Amino acid sequence: MSRSDTPLHLRKTLWITILFSLISVVSWEFFWRSRGRIPDLPDDKFLWAQTRAKVENPDASSVVIIGSSRTLFNLQIPEWQKMTGVKPIQLSTAGGNPIPVLEDIIEHTNYAGTLIVGVTPGIFFSKISKDSRSWSRTQKRIDFYHKRTYADRLNHFLSIPLQNNLAFLTASENEWADDIDLKSLLRATKWGVRTGKENDPPFNSFQYLDIDRNTRMSDRCAHDTTFANTVKRVWKSHNKKAKKSPKDEAVLYVSKLVKKFKDRGGNIVFLRSPSTGFYKEQEAKNQPREEFWDVLLEKTGVKGYHYDDYESLKNFDCPEWSHLSGEDADKFTNAFVTLLLKDNVLPQPQNN
Amino acid sequence: MVFNSLGFIVFFAVILVLYYGPFLGWVNKKRMLLFSSYVFYGLWNPPLIILLWISTMVDWIAGNKIYHETKPNRRKFWLWVSMVVNLGFLAFFKYGNFLLENFISFVNLAGFSYEPLPMNIILPMGISFYTFQTMSYTIDVYQRKLEPAKTFLDFALYVTFFPQLVAGPIVRAGDLITQFYEEKKATVDLFIWGLFLLTLGLFEKIVMADTMFSGAADAVFNADKNLNFWDAWAGVLAFSAQIFFDFAGYSTCAIGISYMLGFTLTDNFLYPYGSIGFSEFWRRWHISLSSWLRDYLYIPLGGNRFGLTRMYVALMLTMLLGGLWHGAAWTFVFWGFLHGTYLIIERMLKGRFRFEMNWWNGLLLAGLTFTLVNITWVFFRAEDFATAWNIITAMVTGFGEGEKVLGYFDLTKVFVLSGILFLTHYYMRHHTVRMVTSSAGPWITGIAWATMVFLICISHGQGEQFIYFQF
Repeated sequence: MSRSDTPLHLRKTLWITILFSLISVVSWEFFWRSRGRIPDLPDDKFLWAQTRAKVENPDASSVVIIGSSRTLFNLQIPEWQKMTGVKPIQLSTAGGNPIPVLEDIIEHTNYAGTLIVGVTPGIFFSKISKDSRSWSRTQKRIDFYHKRTYADRLNHFLSIPLQNNLAFLTASENEWADDIDLKSLLRATKWGVRTGKENDPPFNSFQYLDIDRNTRMSDRCAHDTTFANTVKRVWKSHNKKAKKSPKDEAVLYVSKLVKKFKDRGGNIVFLRSPSTGFYKEQEAKNQPREEFWDVLLEKTGVKGYHYDDYESLKNFDCPEWSHLSGEDADKFTNAFVTLLLKDNVLPQPQNN
Repeated sequence: MVFNSLGFIVFFAVILVLYYGPFLGWVNKKRMLLFSSYVFYGLWNPPLIILLWISTMVDWIAGNKIYHETKPNRRKFWLWVSMVVNLGFLAFFKYGNFLLENFISFVNLAGFSYEPLPMNIILPMGISFYTFQTMSYTIDVYQRKLEPAKTFLDFALYVTFFPQLVAGPIVRAGDLITQFYEEKKATVDLFIWGLFLLTLGLFEKIVMADTMFSGAADAVFNADKNLNFWDAWAGVLAFSAQIFFDFAGYSTCAIGISYMLGFTLTDNFLYPYGSIGFSEFWRRWHISLSSWLRDYLYIPLGGNRFGLTRMYVALMLTMLLGGLWHGAAWTFVFWGFLHGTYLIIERMLKGRFRFEMNWWNGLLLAGLTFTLVNITWVFFRAEDFATAWNIITAMVTGFGEGEKVLGYFDLTKVFVLSGILFLTHYYMRHHTVRMVTSSAGPWITGIAWATMVFLICISHGQGEQFIYFQF
């Protein structure tokens, strides 16, 4: 690549490149929009870390939500803010165990506000193992937060406007079957069965996320039974080997953390969100309430809200057995916050 | 900061505006480039800039002292100061944990129980590159091959020049410092050519290394199972392609960015997988490192001046240390050992077989070289010898047996693309990118360039680090 034999017509080459690049990228964007894709932020470690940073300097009235996907989908930040005047910090992770986040906040911050801890029984009460999928899923984000560089922050800051405006940039570290980056498109290409994994049902994205990590179920999942059934097949596939959780292990681990948090003046609440169908049956079998949820509340001495105990929280339908539609999530949030205010778990909103 | 990131696009755009705008004179432009280089490095871990400053200060002082001193002992003293500081950084930051682990194993073996706390040393990005680069400066000044840099600014910029700071090419002072003495400005054609090379480098990294090959390589090397013959070979070929595209992509970006600023960096890769034999491979793979090792290690160890045995010893020591340069693990040393063995066997056989080389037997020998190079990559990529041995076993005996971790599409993708990679390298042995684009003409080149831009856009990775940053 010596400089002496520069090819001729480089300016012409550059113009041709610009023209064809624009045509191809714009066509690609329109193609995906014509297939119903809209710009969406990915639920990734960068956005999670950006949100986690808010816990470092919270004000006295702040609320932090930790949990798995149910608190992510079911607690709607705009509705919460409308009712209390406080925008909660959403740190739930789909498929992730909230205990590492609880530990991180208690051990590595001075946070002493309100913590809402979502309890998805199959995840929360699973064996305490840092190698488990649900634990490492959350731990990876925590580790990234503590190690992220200024370059990571700058890149994420610059990526937001692009991802908010271009549908073809939709991608996720969850590796959804319908992601549209090149790697995902290649991954989705299957020629016959060789490894056996090809038999797994495709796991398509069924949510939208905003910059505050407020997550809403897609209308397609909420209203299209066929699509919701594809998600149900995935839940069945993921849980076909589900076993009864070990008793007391998670409760003992969490109790110590909760005591430390309460000792420094923190306010903590557990929330058990609704589940239906297959999940409800699995959870009743593998994590029966009286052996897990009730014991958790007893050993930690913490107020807990189980959807079955409150008229306003029960009778919701989960289109895919585990999460609420956007509209129902608004209602659920409203009902839950009303209970928290009534029980003085949250300070009464100031009327300006 | 990495080239394959949005942050870099903004960073470089600001630099270009300041560099080509009417705001700064040449000295201030160089100051701006130096400051930008520190920002480029500091966005990763600001405190570690201090190491760069120490290395720069020590070698600047040592270089001047060595040049102006007349007494041999004092000259030697300042050379030692430079070596001790730079190699000391490497020993502590890169090899500290490795040395401790081996020390523990040794004392435990001797019957003593010793379990110190882990040191948790952060490996500063690119430390192997900039320490080797600054050492070459003081050694060249010591050997009277080079005059010291005219100003501290020129020297500091040579050490820190952001396009090649963290992963090379390891540029010799004589090739770069002198370029800073006079104002540099790219012509429009050179600027466009630099932009083309930057795109090509990003395509190699984002599309080829991270999108096409990394998945298969990771699936195989992380499998922890007895693998099937085809999966093992596909994983190794995928890593072979991944590391080439990753590292050559970085070098191509660095060269392209330098062109856009009006500077020239030396080539670091010349289609190594088309090499016929291992001597040629090392003249084409990571050229700036292999020439550094040749000039500052192999030749001082005697080179070929003291007979065959001494030459073989020098060659093996050079390759063993070259392996260790890549990583603080015995698997890297073994990788160097394999390459040293290949080179020694090649030299022993050279001259015993005389035949006329043509396209076909050349292709056969290049294929043999490529295959043997692939075997060495197993030890380079594997976490430990057990994993490496599992893969080697599957590559030799796993036909029809073992775990299948790759689907038919992935297998086909890896074998077809690796085949194309090999044949392209073989064809390009006697060509350059410039020759190919010249003969293709602006339309074909423009469409190919646009295709690369399009594939980069639709791949939009998450700014994965280049593999060689960890070395």
